[in-house]
Amino acid sequence: MSIEVKNINKTFKSKKTDQLSVLENINLTINDGELICLLGPSGCGKTTLLRLIAGLEQPTSGEIVANGEVVKKPSGDRAVIFQQYSLFPWLTVLQNVTFGLEMTKKGSKAENIAAAERYLTSVGLIDFKDSYPHELSGGMKQRVAIIRSLLNHSPILLMDEPFSAVDMQNRHSLQEQLIGVWKRFENTIVFVTHDVDEAVYLADKIVILDKNPGRIAKIVEVDIERPRKRESPEFIALQESIVQQLNMED
Amino acid sequence: MLENYKNKFIPLILPIVLILIWHGITDGLELFSSYILPSPMDVVNSAWVVIENGKLLTNTIDTLYKVFAGLICASIVAIPAGILLGWYKTLEDLCTFVISVLRPIPPVAWIPFSILWFGIGTFPAVFIIFMGCVFPILVYTIDGVKRTDKVLVESAQTLGANDWNVLKRVVVPSTVPYIVSGLKVGIGIALMCTISAEMIGSSSGLGYMILTATNLFDTGTTVVGMIVIGLIGLAFDFVFSRAQDKIFW
Ligand SMILES: Nc1ncnc2c1ncn2[C@@H]1O[C@H](COP(=O)(O)OP(=O)(O)OP(=O)(O)O)[C@@H](O)[C@H]1O
Ligand SMILES: [Mg+2]
Repeated sequence: MSIEVKNINKTFKSKKTDQLSVLENINLTINDGELICLLGPSGCGKTTLLRLIAGLEQPTSGEIVANGEVVKKPSGDRAVIFQQYSLFPWLTVLQNVTFGLEMTKKGSKAENIAAAERYLTSVGLIDFKDSYPHELSGGMKQRVAIIRSLLNHSPILLMDEPFSAVDMQNRHSLQEQLIGVWKRFENTIVFVTHDVDEAVYLADKIVILDKNPGRIAKIVEVDIERPRKRESPEFIALQESIVQQLNMED
Repeated sequence: MLENYKNKFIPLILPIVLILIWHGITDGLELFSSYILPSPMDVVNSAWVVIENGKLLTNTIDTLYKVFAGLICASIVAIPAGILLGWYKTLEDLCTFVISVLRPIPPVAWIPFSILWFGIGTFPAVFIIFMGCVFPILVYTIDGVKRTDKVLVESAQTLGANDWNVLKRVVVPSTVPYIVSGLKVGIGIALMCTISAEMIGSSSGLGYMILTATNLFDTGTTVVGMIVIGLIGLAFDFVFSRAQDKIFW
Protein backbone atom coordinates (compact mmCIF):
# COMPACT_ATOMS: atom_id res chain seq x y z
CA MET A 1 0.00 0.00 0.00
CA SER A 2 1.28 3.44 -0.83
CA ILE A 3 1.19 6.39 1.54
CA GLU A 4 0.92 10.03 0.61
CA VAL A 5 1.71 12.73 3.11
CA LYS A 6 0.27 15.97 1.77
CA ASN A 7 1.14 19.40 3.20
CA ILE A 8 1.12 18.21 6.76
CA ASN A 9 1.39 20.73 9.56
CA LYS A 10 1.16 19.73 13.18
CA THR A 11 1.12 22.05 16.15
CA PHE A 12 0.62 21.05 19.75
CA LYS A 13 -0.83 23.28 22.40
CA SER A 14 1.79 23.70 25.05
CA LYS A 15 1.77 25.47 28.40
CA LYS A 16 4.86 27.65 28.04
CA THR A 17 4.37 29.00 24.55
CA ASP A 18 0.86 28.94 23.18
CA GLN A 19 1.58 26.78 20.19
CA LEU A 20 4.39 24.39 19.52
CA SER A 21 4.87 23.81 15.83
CA VAL A 22 6.30 20.32 15.52
CA LEU A 23 5.94 19.55 11.82
CA GLU A 24 5.81 22.09 9.02
CA ASN A 25 4.83 21.48 5.46
CA ILE A 26 5.71 17.84 5.16
CA ASN A 27 5.20 16.34 1.71
CA LEU A 28 6.22 12.79 1.12
CA THR A 29 5.23 9.96 -1.16
CA ILE A 30 5.95 6.44 -0.02
CA ASN A 31 5.45 3.88 -2.75
CA ASP A 32 3.94 0.48 -2.28
CA GLY A 33 6.57 -1.93 -0.97
CA GLU A 34 9.10 0.74 -0.17
CA LEU A 35 11.23 0.81 2.97
CA ILE A 36 11.67 4.38 4.17
CA CYS A 37 13.78 5.52 7.09
CA LEU A 38 12.96 8.71 8.97
CA LEU A 39 16.20 10.06 10.36
CA GLY A 40 16.69 13.09 12.56
CA PRO A 41 17.75 14.41 15.95
CA SER A 42 15.74 13.80 19.09
CA GLY A 43 12.60 15.91 19.28
CA CYS A 44 12.39 16.68 15.57
CA GLY A 45 8.97 15.08 15.22
CA LYS A 46 9.72 11.58 13.93
CA THR A 47 7.32 9.89 16.32
CA THR A 48 4.71 12.55 15.62
CA LEU A 49 4.89 11.94 11.88
CA LEU A 50 4.62 8.20 12.42
CA ARG A 51 1.60 8.64 14.68
CA LEU A 52 -0.06 10.83 12.07
CA ILE A 53 0.43 8.15 9.44
CA ALA A 54 -0.97 5.56 11.86
CA GLY A 55 -4.05 7.70 12.48
CA LEU A 56 -3.31 7.96 16.20
CA GLU A 57 -3.00 11.73 15.84
CA GLN A 58 -4.77 14.17 13.54
CA PRO A 59 -2.84 16.78 11.53
CA THR A 60 -3.48 20.46 12.18
CA SER A 61 -3.70 20.87 8.42
CA GLY A 62 -3.06 18.73 5.38
CA GLU A 63 -3.94 15.09 4.95
CA ILE A 64 -2.49 11.63 4.77
CA VAL A 65 -3.76 9.19 2.21
CA ALA A 66 -3.06 5.48 2.60
CA ASN A 67 -4.14 3.16 -0.18
CA GLY A 68 -6.36 5.84 -1.66
CA GLU A 69 -8.18 6.65 1.57
CA VAL A 70 -7.70 9.60 3.90
CA VAL A 71 -6.41 8.39 7.26
CA LYS A 72 -8.92 9.30 9.96
CA LYS A 73 -8.35 6.72 12.66
CA PRO A 74 -6.07 3.78 13.47
CA SER A 75 -6.60 0.53 11.61
CA GLY A 76 -5.19 -2.96 11.49
CA ASP A 77 -3.82 -2.13 8.04
CA ARG A 78 -1.17 0.06 9.59
CA ALA A 79 0.65 -1.76 12.37
CA VAL A 80 2.73 0.31 14.76
CA ILE A 81 5.73 -0.90 16.68
CA PHE A 82 6.09 1.64 19.43
CA GLN A 83 9.22 3.18 20.88
CA GLN A 84 8.06 2.10 24.35
CA TYR A 85 7.24 -1.45 25.37
CA SER A 86 3.72 -2.25 24.35
CA LEU A 87 3.02 -5.90 25.14
CA PHE A 88 -0.09 -6.70 27.15
CA PRO A 89 1.31 -7.64 30.56
CA TRP A 90 -1.60 -9.93 31.44
CA LEU A 91 -1.16 -12.10 28.35
CA THR A 92 1.54 -14.67 27.68
CA VAL A 93 3.92 -14.21 24.76
CA LEU A 94 1.82 -16.53 22.62
CA GLN A 95 -1.44 -14.78 23.54
CA ASN A 96 0.15 -11.42 22.82
CA VAL A 97 1.32 -12.55 19.43
CA THR A 98 -2.08 -13.90 18.35
CA PHE A 99 -3.99 -10.85 19.65
CA GLY A 100 -4.21 -9.13 16.28
CA LEU A 101 -5.38 -12.28 14.52
CA GLU A 102 -8.19 -12.63 17.03
CA MET A 103 -9.21 -9.01 16.51
CA THR A 104 -9.30 -9.27 12.73
CA LYS A 105 -10.69 -12.83 12.85
CA LYS A 106 -8.22 -13.92 10.23
CA GLY A 107 -7.82 -17.63 10.85
CA SER A 108 -8.97 -20.48 13.04
CA LYS A 109 -7.52 -20.66 16.53
CA ALA A 110 -5.33 -23.66 15.71
CA GLU A 111 -4.00 -22.03 12.55
CA ASN A 112 -3.18 -18.84 14.40
CA ILE A 113 -1.30 -20.65 17.13
CA ALA A 114 0.62 -22.69 14.59
CA ALA A 115 1.59 -19.53 12.68
CA ALA A 116 2.57 -17.76 15.90
CA GLU A 117 4.75 -20.67 16.95
CA ARG A 118 6.44 -20.70 13.57
CA TYR A 119 7.27 -17.01 13.88
CA LEU A 120 8.44 -17.33 17.46
CA THR A 121 10.71 -20.19 16.45
CA SER A 122 12.24 -18.09 13.69
CA VAL A 123 13.41 -15.45 16.17
CA GLY A 124 14.44 -17.96 18.83
CA LEU A 125 11.68 -17.14 21.29
CA ILE A 126 9.65 -20.33 21.13
CA ASP A 127 10.84 -21.45 24.56
CA PHE A 128 9.27 -18.31 26.02
CA LYS A 129 5.84 -18.71 24.46
CA ASP A 130 4.17 -19.29 27.82
CA SER A 131 6.17 -16.60 29.64
CA TYR A 132 4.72 -13.26 30.60
CA PRO A 133 6.26 -10.02 29.28
CA HIS A 134 7.74 -9.08 32.66
CA GLU A 135 9.86 -12.21 32.45
CA LEU A 136 11.53 -11.06 29.21
CA SER A 137 14.44 -8.73 28.57
CA GLY A 138 13.86 -5.42 26.77
CA GLY A 139 15.14 -6.72 23.46
CA MET A 140 13.01 -9.84 23.70
CA LYS A 141 9.90 -7.78 24.38
CA GLN A 142 10.57 -5.69 21.31
CA ARG A 143 11.01 -8.80 19.17
CA VAL A 144 7.70 -10.17 20.42
CA ALA A 145 6.03 -6.84 19.60
CA ILE A 146 7.44 -7.01 16.07
CA ILE A 147 6.19 -10.55 15.59
CA ARG A 148 2.79 -9.53 16.91
CA SER A 149 2.55 -6.95 14.13
CA LEU A 150 4.08 -9.12 11.42
CA LEU A 151 1.72 -11.97 12.10
CA ASN A 152 -1.19 -9.68 11.38
CA HIS A 153 0.11 -9.24 7.82
CA SER A 154 -0.51 -5.53 7.97
CA PRO A 155 0.48 -4.15 4.59
CA ILE A 156 2.02 -1.12 6.28
CA LEU A 157 4.49 -1.38 9.16
CA LEU A 158 5.30 1.76 11.11
CA MET A 159 8.30 1.15 13.33
CA ASP A 160 9.50 3.66 15.90
CA GLU A 161 13.13 2.99 16.83
CA PRO A 162 12.27 -0.66 17.47
CA PHE A 163 15.85 -1.83 17.93
CA SER A 164 17.19 0.96 20.11
CA ALA A 165 16.98 -1.18 23.26
CA VAL A 166 18.91 -4.04 21.68
CA ASP A 167 22.68 -4.56 21.74
CA MET A 168 24.58 -4.10 18.50
CA GLN A 169 25.00 -7.75 17.58
CA ASN A 170 21.34 -8.54 18.05
CA ARG A 171 20.41 -5.33 16.32
CA HIS A 172 22.31 -6.34 13.20
CA SER A 173 20.64 -9.72 13.17
CA LEU A 174 17.18 -8.14 13.66
CA GLN A 175 17.85 -5.72 10.82
CA GLU A 176 18.71 -8.64 8.60
CA GLN A 177 15.56 -10.48 9.65
CA LEU A 178 13.48 -7.40 8.97
CA ILE A 179 14.83 -7.22 5.44
CA GLY A 180 13.96 -10.91 5.03
CA VAL A 181 10.40 -10.37 6.20
CA TRP A 182 9.99 -7.28 4.07
CA LYS A 183 11.16 -9.13 0.96
CA ARG A 184 8.83 -12.00 1.68
CA PHE A 185 5.69 -10.03 2.47
CA GLU A 186 6.43 -6.93 0.41
CA ASN A 187 5.15 -4.61 3.14
CA THR A 188 5.51 -0.89 2.99
CA ILE A 189 7.71 0.06 5.93
CA VAL A 190 8.32 3.41 7.61
CA PHE A 191 11.19 2.96 10.02
CA VAL A 192 12.18 5.69 12.47
CA THR A 193 15.73 5.79 13.72
CA HIS A 194 18.41 8.21 14.77
CA ASP A 195 21.13 5.73 13.97
CA VAL A 196 22.71 6.60 10.59
CA ASP A 197 24.19 3.13 10.17
CA GLU A 198 20.79 1.56 10.65
CA ALA A 199 19.18 3.89 8.12
CA VAL A 200 21.81 3.21 5.46
CA TYR A 201 21.58 -0.52 6.04
CA LEU A 202 17.81 -0.71 5.76
CA ALA A 203 16.37 2.04 3.63
CA ASP A 204 15.41 2.47 0.02
CA LYS A 205 15.06 6.16 0.83
CA ILE A 206 16.26 8.10 3.84
CA VAL A 207 14.15 11.09 4.83
CA ILE A 208 16.25 13.48 6.90
CA LEU A 209 14.26 15.75 9.18
CA ASP A 210 15.26 19.15 10.55
CA LYS A 211 14.51 20.27 14.04
CA ASN A 212 12.43 23.22 15.30
CA PRO A 213 10.23 23.08 13.39
CA GLY A 214 10.41 19.62 11.83
CA ARG A 215 10.84 19.95 8.10
CA ILE A 216 12.18 17.60 5.49
CA ALA A 217 15.82 18.65 5.03
CA LYS A 218 16.73 16.14 2.39
CA ILE A 219 15.63 12.86 0.86
CA VAL A 220 18.48 10.50 0.06
CA GLU A 221 17.99 7.55 -2.28
CA VAL A 222 20.06 4.54 -1.25
CA ASP A 223 21.15 2.66 -4.33
CA ILE A 224 23.37 0.13 -2.63
CA GLU A 225 22.56 -3.42 -3.58
CA ARG A 226 21.28 -5.83 -0.94
CA PRO A 227 22.56 -7.63 1.03
CA ARG A 228 24.48 -4.55 2.06
CA LYS A 229 27.97 -4.78 3.46
CA ARG A 230 28.83 -2.31 6.18
CA GLU A 231 32.51 -2.36 5.24
CA SER A 232 31.90 -1.61 1.54
CA PRO A 233 33.23 1.79 0.37
CA GLU A 234 29.88 2.99 -0.94
CA PHE A 235 28.22 2.19 2.40
CA ILE A 236 30.85 4.11 4.34
CA ALA A 237 30.78 7.02 1.90
CA LEU A 238 27.01 7.40 2.12
CA GLN A 239 27.09 7.11 5.88
CA GLU A 240 29.65 9.91 6.07
CA SER A 241 27.76 12.24 3.79
CA ILE A 242 24.61 11.78 5.88
CA VAL A 243 26.47 12.42 9.12
CA GLN A 244 27.77 15.61 7.55
CA GLN A 245 24.28 16.61 6.51
CA LEU A 246 23.05 16.09 10.07
CA ASN A 247 25.93 18.07 11.55
CA MET A 248 25.22 20.94 9.21
CA GLU A 249 21.81 21.29 10.79
CA ASP A 250 23.17 21.95 14.26
CA MET B 1 17.48 -20.60 60.24
CA LEU B 2 17.43 -18.81 63.59
CA GLU B 3 16.55 -15.56 61.80
CA ASN B 4 13.54 -17.26 60.28
CA TYR B 5 12.23 -18.40 63.62
CA LYS B 6 12.78 -14.96 65.09
CA ASN B 7 10.78 -13.31 62.36
CA LYS B 8 7.91 -15.74 62.75
CA PHE B 9 7.64 -15.10 66.48
CA ILE B 10 8.04 -11.34 66.52
CA PRO B 11 4.38 -10.63 65.63
CA LEU B 12 3.26 -12.87 68.53
CA ILE B 13 5.20 -11.06 71.25
CA LEU B 14 2.97 -8.01 71.55
CA PRO B 15 -0.35 -9.89 71.75
CA ILE B 16 1.06 -12.15 74.50
CA VAL B 17 2.35 -9.15 76.46
CA LEU B 18 -0.99 -7.37 76.10
CA ILE B 19 -2.91 -10.41 77.31
CA LEU B 20 -0.58 -10.72 80.30
CA ILE B 21 -1.09 -7.05 81.22
CA TRP B 22 -4.81 -7.48 80.72
CA HIS B 23 -4.76 -10.52 82.98
CA GLY B 24 -2.67 -8.62 85.54
CA ILE B 25 -5.00 -5.66 85.92
CA THR B 26 -8.18 -7.77 85.97
CA ASP B 27 -7.81 -11.17 87.62
CA GLY B 28 -4.45 -10.25 89.16
CA LEU B 29 -4.93 -6.83 90.78
CA GLU B 30 -8.72 -6.83 90.43
CA LEU B 31 -8.75 -3.11 89.57
CA PHE B 32 -12.07 -3.29 87.72
CA SER B 33 -15.32 -5.14 88.18
CA SER B 34 -15.69 -7.82 85.52
CA TYR B 35 -18.62 -5.88 84.00
CA ILE B 36 -16.45 -2.82 83.28
CA LEU B 37 -13.50 -4.85 82.02
CA PRO B 38 -13.88 -8.63 81.75
CA SER B 39 -10.71 -10.63 82.33
CA PRO B 40 -9.20 -12.96 79.72
CA MET B 41 -10.69 -15.91 81.59
CA ASP B 42 -14.15 -14.29 81.55
CA VAL B 43 -13.80 -13.89 77.83
CA VAL B 44 -12.72 -17.52 77.36
CA ASN B 45 -15.67 -18.68 79.46
CA SER B 46 -18.10 -16.52 77.48
CA ALA B 47 -16.56 -17.73 74.24
CA TRP B 48 -17.08 -21.31 75.34
CA VAL B 49 -20.73 -20.62 76.10
CA VAL B 50 -21.51 -18.96 72.75
CA ILE B 51 -19.55 -21.58 70.85
CA GLU B 52 -21.36 -24.41 72.60
CA ASN B 53 -24.86 -23.00 72.17
CA GLY B 54 -24.07 -22.21 68.50
CA LYS B 55 -24.84 -18.48 68.81
CA LEU B 56 -21.35 -17.42 67.77
CA LEU B 57 -21.46 -19.50 64.61
CA THR B 58 -24.97 -18.46 63.52
CA ASN B 59 -24.30 -14.78 64.21
CA THR B 60 -20.94 -14.87 62.43
CA ILE B 61 -22.49 -16.55 59.41
CA ASP B 62 -25.31 -14.02 59.50
CA THR B 63 -22.88 -11.10 59.52
CA LEU B 64 -20.70 -12.59 56.77
CA TYR B 65 -23.77 -13.23 54.68
CA LYS B 66 -24.78 -9.57 54.89
CA VAL B 67 -21.23 -8.40 54.15
CA PHE B 68 -21.04 -10.53 51.03
CA ALA B 69 -24.54 -9.67 49.87
CA GLY B 70 -23.83 -5.94 50.21
CA LEU B 71 -20.43 -6.22 48.63
CA ILE B 72 -21.70 -8.25 45.68
CA CYS B 73 -24.57 -5.82 45.05
CA ALA B 74 -22.15 -2.91 45.24
CA SER B 75 -19.70 -4.63 42.86
CA ILE B 76 -22.43 -5.39 40.35
CA VAL B 77 -23.28 -1.70 40.24
CA ALA B 78 -19.91 -0.06 40.81
CA ILE B 79 -17.57 -2.07 38.57
CA PRO B 80 -19.48 -1.73 35.28
CA ALA B 81 -20.43 1.86 36.15
CA GLY B 82 -16.82 2.66 37.00
CA ILE B 83 -15.60 1.24 33.71
CA LEU B 84 -18.12 3.30 31.75
CA LEU B 85 -17.51 6.50 33.72
CA GLY B 86 -13.76 6.08 33.43
CA TRP B 87 -13.96 5.51 29.71
CA TYR B 88 -16.57 8.04 28.63
CA LYS B 89 -15.55 11.50 29.79
CA THR B 90 -18.97 13.07 29.23
CA LEU B 91 -20.65 10.40 31.32
CA GLU B 92 -18.21 11.13 34.13
CA ASP B 93 -18.78 14.87 33.86
CA LEU B 94 -22.48 14.17 34.08
CA CYS B 95 -22.20 12.12 37.27
CA THR B 96 -19.23 13.62 39.05
CA PHE B 97 -21.19 16.16 41.11
CA VAL B 98 -23.72 13.67 42.39
CA ILE B 99 -20.99 11.19 43.27
CA SER B 100 -18.91 13.80 45.07
CA VAL B 101 -21.86 14.81 47.20
CA LEU B 102 -23.11 11.32 48.03
CA ARG B 103 -19.67 9.87 48.72
CA PRO B 104 -18.78 11.71 51.95
CA ILE B 105 -22.11 10.84 53.62
CA PRO B 106 -21.24 8.23 56.26
CA PRO B 107 -23.05 4.98 55.50
CA VAL B 108 -24.62 4.92 58.97
CA ALA B 109 -26.42 8.16 58.11
CA TRP B 110 -28.55 6.00 55.81
CA ILE B 111 -29.75 3.88 58.75
CA PRO B 112 -32.97 5.87 59.38
CA PHE B 113 -34.03 5.56 55.75
CA SER B 114 -32.93 1.96 55.52
CA ILE B 115 -35.28 1.15 58.41
CA LEU B 116 -38.11 3.20 56.91
CA TRP B 117 -37.71 1.58 53.53
CA PHE B 118 -36.73 -1.97 54.41
CA GLY B 119 -37.90 -2.46 58.00
CA ILE B 120 -35.77 -4.59 60.30
CA GLY B 121 -33.63 -7.58 59.40
CA THR B 122 -31.21 -8.43 56.63
CA PHE B 123 -32.32 -6.01 53.91
CA PRO B 124 -31.64 -2.71 55.68
CA ALA B 125 -28.19 -3.94 56.69
CA VAL B 126 -27.38 -5.00 53.14
CA PHE B 127 -28.52 -1.58 51.96
CA ILE B 128 -26.19 0.19 54.42
CA ILE B 129 -23.29 -2.01 53.35
CA PHE B 130 -24.11 -1.30 49.73
CA MET B 131 -24.03 2.45 50.37
CA GLY B 132 -20.76 2.04 52.23
CA CYS B 133 -18.77 0.15 49.63
CA VAL B 134 -20.30 1.23 46.34
CA PHE B 135 -18.32 4.49 46.26
CA PRO B 136 -14.84 3.19 47.06
CA ILE B 137 -15.23 0.45 44.44
CA LEU B 138 -16.59 2.96 41.93
CA VAL B 139 -13.82 5.48 42.51
CA TYR B 140 -11.05 2.89 42.37
CA THR B 141 -12.47 1.44 39.15
CA ILE B 142 -12.74 4.86 37.49
CA ASP B 143 -9.19 5.61 38.51
CA GLY B 144 -7.98 2.27 37.16
CA VAL B 145 -9.62 2.82 33.79
CA LYS B 146 -8.06 6.27 33.52
CA ARG B 147 -4.64 4.88 34.28
CA THR B 148 -4.82 2.38 31.43
CA ASP B 149 -1.54 2.66 29.55
CA LYS B 150 -2.24 4.65 26.39
CA VAL B 151 0.34 2.65 24.44
CA LEU B 152 -1.59 -0.55 25.13
CA VAL B 153 -4.83 0.98 23.88
CA GLU B 154 -3.11 2.27 20.76
CA SER B 155 -1.37 -1.06 20.17
CA ALA B 156 -4.70 -2.83 20.26
CA GLN B 157 -6.19 -0.29 17.84
CA THR B 158 -3.37 -0.69 15.35
CA LEU B 159 -3.74 -4.46 15.63
CA GLY B 160 -7.30 -4.06 14.42
CA ALA B 161 -9.30 -3.95 17.67
CA ASN B 162 -12.56 -2.02 17.58
CA ASP B 163 -13.75 0.13 20.51
CA TRP B 164 -15.58 -2.72 22.17
CA ASN B 165 -12.55 -4.99 22.00
CA VAL B 166 -10.30 -2.25 23.33
CA LEU B 167 -12.60 -1.92 26.31
CA LYS B 168 -12.99 -5.65 26.87
CA ARG B 169 -9.49 -6.88 26.08
CA VAL B 170 -7.34 -3.97 27.24
CA VAL B 171 -9.11 -1.56 29.58
CA VAL B 172 -10.85 -4.15 31.74
CA PRO B 173 -7.85 -6.41 32.38
CA SER B 174 -5.59 -3.46 33.08
CA THR B 175 -8.14 -2.18 35.61
CA VAL B 176 -8.33 -5.46 37.55
CA PRO B 177 -5.62 -4.57 40.09
CA TYR B 178 -7.44 -1.33 40.91
CA ILE B 179 -10.74 -3.16 41.26
CA VAL B 180 -9.13 -5.58 43.71
CA SER B 181 -7.83 -2.62 45.74
CA GLY B 182 -11.30 -1.10 45.69
CA LEU B 183 -12.82 -4.37 46.93
CA LYS B 184 -10.24 -4.56 49.69
CA VAL B 185 -11.16 -1.10 50.91
CA GLY B 186 -14.84 -1.86 50.36
CA ILE B 187 -14.82 -4.99 52.46
CA GLY B 188 -13.27 -3.14 55.41
CA ILE B 189 -16.00 -0.52 55.22
CA ALA B 190 -18.63 -3.23 54.75
CA LEU B 191 -17.60 -4.92 57.97
CA MET B 192 -17.85 -1.66 59.92
CA CYS B 193 -21.21 -0.83 58.38
CA THR B 194 -22.60 -4.27 59.13
CA ILE B 195 -21.84 -4.08 62.80
CA SER B 196 -23.27 -0.56 63.13
CA ALA B 197 -26.37 -1.53 61.20
CA GLU B 198 -26.88 -4.65 63.30
CA MET B 199 -26.66 -2.61 66.49
CA ILE B 200 -29.47 -0.36 65.38
CA GLY B 201 -31.98 -2.11 63.21
CA SER B 202 -31.41 -5.81 63.41
CA SER B 203 -32.18 -8.97 65.34
CA SER B 204 -29.19 -11.08 64.36
CA GLY B 205 -25.51 -10.89 63.58
CA LEU B 206 -22.38 -10.13 65.56
CA GLY B 207 -23.39 -6.49 66.14
CA TYR B 208 -26.69 -7.64 67.59
CA MET B 209 -24.90 -10.25 69.70
CA ILE B 210 -22.54 -7.61 71.10
CA LEU B 211 -25.34 -5.22 71.94
CA THR B 212 -27.65 -7.74 73.61
CA ALA B 213 -24.77 -9.24 75.61
CA THR B 214 -23.82 -5.80 76.91
CA ASN B 215 -27.44 -5.10 77.89
CA LEU B 216 -27.38 -8.36 79.87
CA PHE B 217 -24.15 -7.35 81.65
CA ASP B 218 -22.35 -10.15 79.81
CA THR B 219 -19.41 -8.07 78.58
CA GLY B 220 -17.28 -11.19 78.15
CA THR B 221 -19.43 -12.04 75.12
CA THR B 222 -19.10 -8.43 73.94
CA VAL B 223 -15.34 -8.89 73.79
CA VAL B 224 -15.74 -12.26 72.03
CA GLY B 225 -17.79 -10.52 69.34
CA MET B 226 -15.22 -7.77 68.95
CA ILE B 227 -12.36 -10.23 68.60
CA VAL B 228 -14.23 -12.27 65.99
CA ILE B 229 -14.85 -9.12 63.95
CA GLY B 230 -11.16 -8.33 64.11
CA LEU B 231 -10.25 -11.83 62.98
CA ILE B 232 -12.69 -11.68 60.07
CA GLY B 233 -11.07 -8.44 58.95
CA LEU B 234 -7.65 -10.03 59.23
CA ALA B 235 -8.75 -13.02 57.14
CA PHE B 236 -10.13 -10.79 54.38
CA ASP B 237 -6.99 -8.73 54.34
CA PHE B 238 -4.92 -11.87 53.99
CA VAL B 239 -7.01 -13.16 51.09
CA PHE B 240 -6.92 -9.86 49.22
CA SER B 241 -3.21 -9.37 49.76
CA ARG B 242 -2.67 -12.82 48.30
CA ALA B 243 -4.85 -11.90 45.32
CA GLN B 244 -2.86 -8.70 44.81
CA ASP B 245 0.40 -10.65 44.86
CA LYS B 246 -0.96 -12.92 42.15
CA ILE B 247 -1.67 -9.94 39.90
CA PHE B 248 1.66 -8.81 38.54
CA TRP B 249 0.74 -6.14 36.04
N1 LIG C 1 1.08 15.10 22.72
C1 LIG C 1 1.98 16.10 22.68
N2 LIG C 1 1.69 17.30 23.26
C2 LIG C 1 2.58 18.31 23.24
N3 LIG C 1 3.78 18.24 22.67
C3 LIG C 1 4.14 17.10 22.06
C4 LIG C 1 3.27 15.96 22.06
N4 LIG C 1 3.88 14.95 21.41
C5 LIG C 1 5.09 15.43 21.03
N5 LIG C 1 5.25 16.72 21.41
C6 LIG C 1 6.43 17.56 21.14
O1 LIG C 1 6.74 17.44 19.79
C7 LIG C 1 8.13 17.41 19.57
C8 LIG C 1 8.50 16.21 18.73
O2 LIG C 1 8.24 15.03 19.46
P1 LIG C 1 8.48 13.59 18.85
O3 LIG C 1 8.14 12.61 19.90
O4 LIG C 1 7.77 13.46 17.57
O5 LIG C 1 10.05 13.60 18.59
P2 LIG C 1 11.00 12.42 18.06
O6 LIG C 1 11.64 12.91 16.83
O7 LIG C 1 10.27 11.16 17.98
O8 LIG C 1 12.10 12.36 19.21
P3 LIG C 1 12.90 11.08 19.79
O9 LIG C 1 13.98 10.76 18.79
O10 LIG C 1 13.47 11.59 21.06
O11 LIG C 1 11.93 9.99 19.98
C9 LIG C 1 8.78 17.45 20.93
O12 LIG C 1 9.22 18.75 21.18
C10 LIG C 1 7.67 17.08 21.87
O13 LIG C 1 7.82 17.75 23.10
MG1 LIG D 1 10.30 9.34 19.07
